[in-house]
Amino acid sequence: MSYLPCGTYFESYLEEQKWWRTPFIKGKMILMLVLLVALPWLIPKDWVSVVCNVNYYILAALGVQLLIGYCGQITLGHAAFVAVGAYCSAMMVLFLPWPGFMVENGLAYPLSVLCAGFMAGFWSVLFGLPSARVKGFYLIMTTMAAQFITVPLVITQYVSRIGGRGHYFQLPPGTIKIGPVEIGTDSALDLGRLGIWDFDADTKVYYWSLFLVLLCLLAMGNLVRSKVGRAWVAIRDNDIAAETMGVDIIWYKLLAFFVAGFFAGIAGAFYASSIAFVSPEHYGWEFSLIWVGVILIGGVGSIQGLVFGSAFFVIIIEVLQRLLGYLSEGFEQSFPTLGVVLMKFVFFRDTAFGLAIILFLIYEPNGLAYRYWQLKNYFNLWPFSYTGKGH
Amino acid sequence: MSEVILEARNIFLSFHGVAALTDVSFRVNKGEIFSIIGPNGAGKTCMMNCINGLYKPQKGKLFFKGKDITGMPPHRRATLGLSRTFQKIELFGGMTVLDNIRLGRHMHIRTGLLASSVYWGRNSREEITHRKFIEEEIIDLLEIEAVRGEVTGMLPYGLQKRIELARALALQPDVILLDEPLAGLNLEEVEDMARFIIDINEDQRWKVTCVLVEHDMGVVMDLSDRVMTLNFGVKIAEGTPQEVQENPEVIKAYLGEEEDLYATRR
Repeated sequence: MSYLPCGTYFESYLEEQKWWRTPFIKGKMILMLVLLVALPWLIPKDWVSVVCNVNYYILAALGVQLLIGYCGQITLGHAAFVAVGAYCSAMMVLFLPWPGFMVENGLAYPLSVLCAGFMAGFWSVLFGLPSARVKGFYLIMTTMAAQFITVPLVITQYVSRIGGRGHYFQLPPGTIKIGPVEIGTDSALDLGRLGIWDFDADTKVYYWSLFLVLLCLLAMGNLVRSKVGRAWVAIRDNDIAAETMGVDIIWYKLLAFFVAGFFAGIAGAFYASSIAFVSPEHYGWEFSLIWVGVILIGGVGSIQGLVFGSAFFVIIIEVLQRLLGYLSEGFEQSFPTLGVVLMKFVFFRDTAFGLAIILFLIYEPNGLAYRYWQLKNYFNLWPFSYTGKGH
Repeated sequence: MSEVILEARNIFLSFHGVAALTDVSFRVNKGEIFSIIGPNGAGKTCMMNCINGLYKPQKGKLFFKGKDITGMPPHRRATLGLSRTFQKIELFGGMTVLDNIRLGRHMHIRTGLLASSVYWGRNSREEITHRKFIEEEIIDLLEIEAVRGEVTGMLPYGLQKRIELARALALQPDVILLDEPLAGLNLEEVEDMARFIIDINEDQRWKVTCVLVEHDMGVVMDLSDRVMTLNFGVKIAEGTPQEVQENPEVIKAYLGEEEDLYATRR
């Protein structure tokens, strides 16, 4: 909690536990929501898909943040659960004999997203079972086992054989439909009195991702400030004390794995719809590592940090790639050899991410979220930077 | 007054052949302050951990409120009304003081996973009722209003001890195990803590039975109704503070033989 401006008092417990506690914060958040909704019109068209990618990273890393940041169970196999979600959703949409009205009204895909969440959740609990016995380093190894069992073996060798479409397959246009809206195609939407609006494919994916992100972050935010979330943080900070205070730590660890897997499943179902394509390559172990890196950069144990980390990672990588692209184009004309060298650097963009993690761990181990917290405090306390007690 | 709330029968605990507790039996009556004293390494904390369920005794039985709790995991014992504080502070360092105490209310909060993720209506109201209880009953009693929003890891030692007591109290336990609540405190804090222990033991609102492990003999003899002495895992005496103080074996264990006495005392 950051410090509130001087003269802000609460008269009831209800006022204090509100999400948006002062009119200023309320205004700020409403402004942010408006900006988020208007975003596709505010940024260049080719950046909308980048923002979608940010949202995908938020959804996928949310479970990692829950497990590592809140419950203290280090996981290096989260891409497996995202893959389970993606395959579950895609295969349900493609292969299940849906009744006609469900396909027409676009209920099949939303239902499959929910099922993907549960499927990935239970799959995650299966690999979370060792957490009842092992901690720390050993748990990392068992979660890595989840990655290597799930993606290269179960999904590549067995699951993707169902239906005989090969390891990777496309979701044909029109199969992914939420209500009347088809995801993945450009189409006009009849909004009744508001007229007919043109939405391109990216914009629709953006709104779908925005909806999911807001919903999941809200659920997560509420979880961590109620009974379940407190039990998770207690297990992270001191599992013995948590147990003596009446927390069934095995149950709550498994619950953490379930919820993390659930979010991962939703992320996977979203990703499958956003690119209308599933392939084991999109869920390799490097993604599990990247999502851990994302929360390290953003701030471990902070939902804001998750958002900052995802945005930082995706946008930095995108900017680097584009910058190097432009540079190499420009250089290629004047210095042909140098241009080729720069082109090579495009493939080393992940190096930038590795470097960023190292620099963050050395200079700001609390992540971007902590910097933001300091910044907010600076403005809230200005010009008298000493604080009393309280929050 | 003589209703037995906690009973240990012939507890035997050993670590790889090293006996930590040998055939220890005792009864704690409802509403009393029962102290366990003994030299370092006598097995006092082992006894606490056995009662609490962190250690499993190889032999013997434990009864709490008439129920056999020998094989129960610690969290089930907590739900029966058995709470504790630790010798080395075991707070949740990353949580605020308020959240630490709220965690003590864990078993009293009914909201499940789905309702928690909504935090609207029932869950919100439930959180407020518990907040009210914490603020008005516990924080007020233990005088920690000023630090309720602070992160516990950053607080001074004396306050952390007090917050641990607050967290244990939030459980609304019937029996509270206090493992050296006064260790490392300055005189003022010792007096405060002793006052709190008397408060929770005697106040009609709480009436908590206390099992106290402590080295500060002055406090132990003042507070306790009955005292048990352990030495090398063996119970050597039990009785009122007066009786224990006069027991020759206790004097021997604590102060050494008669001829050593003058050499070891200042």
